[in-house]
Amino acid sequence: MQKIQSKLLIIFSILFFLSGCEEFKDIDKDVFVSMIGIDHSDDNEKPFKVTLKLFVPTSSFRQKPEANYTYLVETAETISEAIRILETHIDKELDFGHLKLIVLGEELVKENKNKEVLDFLLRRPDIQLISWVTVGRPNAEEIVTMVPKGETAAYPSLYNYFDGNGTESPYIVTMFLFDYRRRMMENGLDPIIPIVEISENESTFTVNKSIVLKNRKTPYELDPLNTFIFNSLSMNVKIADIEVKQGNEHFVAKIDTIKAKNKVKKQGNNKFSLDVNVELIGYIVESQNALNSRDLPKYSKLLEKEAKENLESFFHELQSEGLDPIGFGLKYKAQTFHHKRMSIEEWNETYKNAEVNIKVTASLKSTGSIQ
Amino acid sequence: MSRYFYYIILINMVANIIASVPYILLHFYNDGSISAMIIATITGTIIITVYAKFFIQFPGQTLPDLLKQTTAKWFYAPLIFIMAVVWFFAGMITLITFTFLLIRYLTPEMPIVLISLSIILSVILGCFIKTDRVLYTIEIVLLLTLPLIIYIFLKAYTDPNINWDFVKEAALYINQMPNFESFTASFYLFLGVANLFIFNRFFTIKQKFGWKQIITIFLITVSTLFTTYFVPIGFHGTENIDHLIYPWIQTSDSLRMKYSLIERVLFVFLLFYLCIAFLSMLIHWHVSVEYLKYLFTFEKIKYRGFNLGIFIPPTLFTLISTYFVQVINEYHLFRLSSFLNITLSVFFPFMIIVFFYIKRRMKYAKNTK
Repeated sequence: MQKIQSKLLIIFSILFFLSGCEEFKDIDKDVFVSMIGIDHSDDNEKPFKVTLKLFVPTSSFRQKPEANYTYLVETAETISEAIRILETHIDKELDFGHLKLIVLGEELVKENKNKEVLDFLLRRPDIQLISWVTVGRPNAEEIVTMVPKGETAAYPSLYNYFDGNGTESPYIVTMFLFDYRRRMMENGLDPIIPIVEISENESTFTVNKSIVLKNRKTPYELDPLNTFIFNSLSMNVKIADIEVKQGNEHFVAKIDTIKAKNKVKKQGNNKFSLDVNVELIGYIVESQNALNSRDLPKYSKLLEKEAKENLESFFHELQSEGLDPIGFGLKYKAQTFHHKRMSIEEWNETYKNAEVNIKVTASLKSTGSIQ
Repeated sequence: MSRYFYYIILINMVANIIASVPYILLHFYNDGSISAMIIATITGTIIITVYAKFFIQFPGQTLPDLLKQTTAKWFYAPLIFIMAVVWFFAGMITLITFTFLLIRYLTPEMPIVLISLSIILSVILGCFIKTDRVLYTIEIVLLLTLPLIIYIFLKAYTDPNINWDFVKEAALYINQMPNFESFTASFYLFLGVANLFIFNRFFTIKQKFGWKQIITIFLITVSTLFTTYFVPIGFHGTENIDHLIYPWIQTSDSLRMKYSLIERVLFVFLLFYLCIAFLSMLIHWHVSVEYLKYLFTFEKIKYRGFNLGIFIPPTLFTLISTYFVQVINEYHLFRLSSFLNITLSVFFPFMIIVFFYIKRRMKYAKNTK
């Protein structure tokens, strides 16, 4: 009996450890950051301008179904200092654990502050590596502070552009922070970031362009068509619309399967060719002329021709600028032993002069519901 | 071989991912890590085979038992004491690594001593319970966590964002001289078998250890090492990968479960690995306490009939580890675990000589009887 009593005593004394919640903060003492915008300010002493978008806690959805945010803006010498100052502007603890979107101002990218920003984002353990990196045009602050119409509480509509759940447009490049990091480190794979703009009617965002950082420094803008081609070649995009304007025919093909294979092939001594094989499968959704199902192979040929022309101009642009967002440099490294690899400068030259072999096989399966 | 045998080997392998092994391997990615891993796989499989073959000859007997029967006290007493210290340090390094991880990622506001104490509180249990109970605990916890951990690994392999070009690029560093530090780090994966020194007590029925078992173990280690090394490279590239202090934590943070309850895999991964780390510490400290029991008779120390002696080693363990948790920093921790890896990979092959000696003496003893 006494033994049981003493055992019970020990068990109850252990219960005292369980009360130790005083070290945690209650959830209502935290405020969650949903987006961070980092801009370049004109002040030389304080180059960083940080904008935070905070979720304002609401007691219930029914009372306040529309979105409600607080914004904090501060300029400082470092990003952390700005955040430290911002912590004195609000009564709660700033929690970065739910931060999912990072907006870099266009000026900041041009001013080549990417290294410092990346260092801050990676060093903080509470910032997710699966948050999305974007470029804000004209600046990050405007993008962060804008609330488009019809935004629901607790889920900013800008998230929907990137999370693969809302819109799945082939023009949107989704760049995760860890992907951005590895591209910033690797020589053979250039970083590419989507540009977020405010559309003309000022009620929604437009995401269809992107910026490639040449040599991980100088930004070069890709237009929507090239962004789309990049996406379908290397970002697993499966759905696309391609407008074909060849000869008398003018139709739009809806592609539901894109299979792209990129290769680097050795052609003799220090000569390389870039092989791109694209397979497109889809059907026709719009046409100027009446179509005939019998002529589907002919339409496929036209589509192939159109796609090939677009791809050629895309690669011409990449090669003349020396941009490599698809990662041919990495593919070259992945098939050459480390002691036989050429230097970075040599490869850049080789890449610019490499021959591009593009092969497109298109098969249109249907002319849609009508002929 | 009994399934419990695989558990003790498996835990050492799986637990390495959160320890410093991937950090060390990736640090030398362009300096001979791959060839070191290949050599470690071969020597590691050999050492597991030798150890297992040795212990199945003496069912139910621990190494201290055998040493006591065959060697002089001046030899076995220091040896067992050194082993106790080594096992304690192995457990402590896991503890400190995990405490650092928790304070960095999960509970940054909690004081570090409280975190380590709350882990110790559950681990210290292993110092009191019997050897077979430890194995049953291992089985239950493994059954609960291992399938989910394997699911996370599969998720990583099938993730569209893993770039296999990086993996190929890293694999082409194969034609280099093996790096010693990488070798010791990957060799550490195989040393779970050394826990047989005590756990052989459980295997009282004669076991079989043939080619089938060897091949199974070989395949498991190859896949574990491959996962440990190449998945972080697939996600983070090779350039500057040594800047990542916890490569696997950052890799799990790069995974995204779009429709899961918790989108950020990091937290799920941390919690499951907390279980694995718990098991690893449980085994190590249990073995360490058992060694000490052979050297000192703790039961003798009594206070009013209450047995105080068995509380001495756990208290010591707690005090020493809470001290180290506070004074050590990350750099020291990596140096310490690197040092431990080197000592172990010299020490354990040397043990084979002792095995031969014991075997001969035991044969001699049998014949004279």
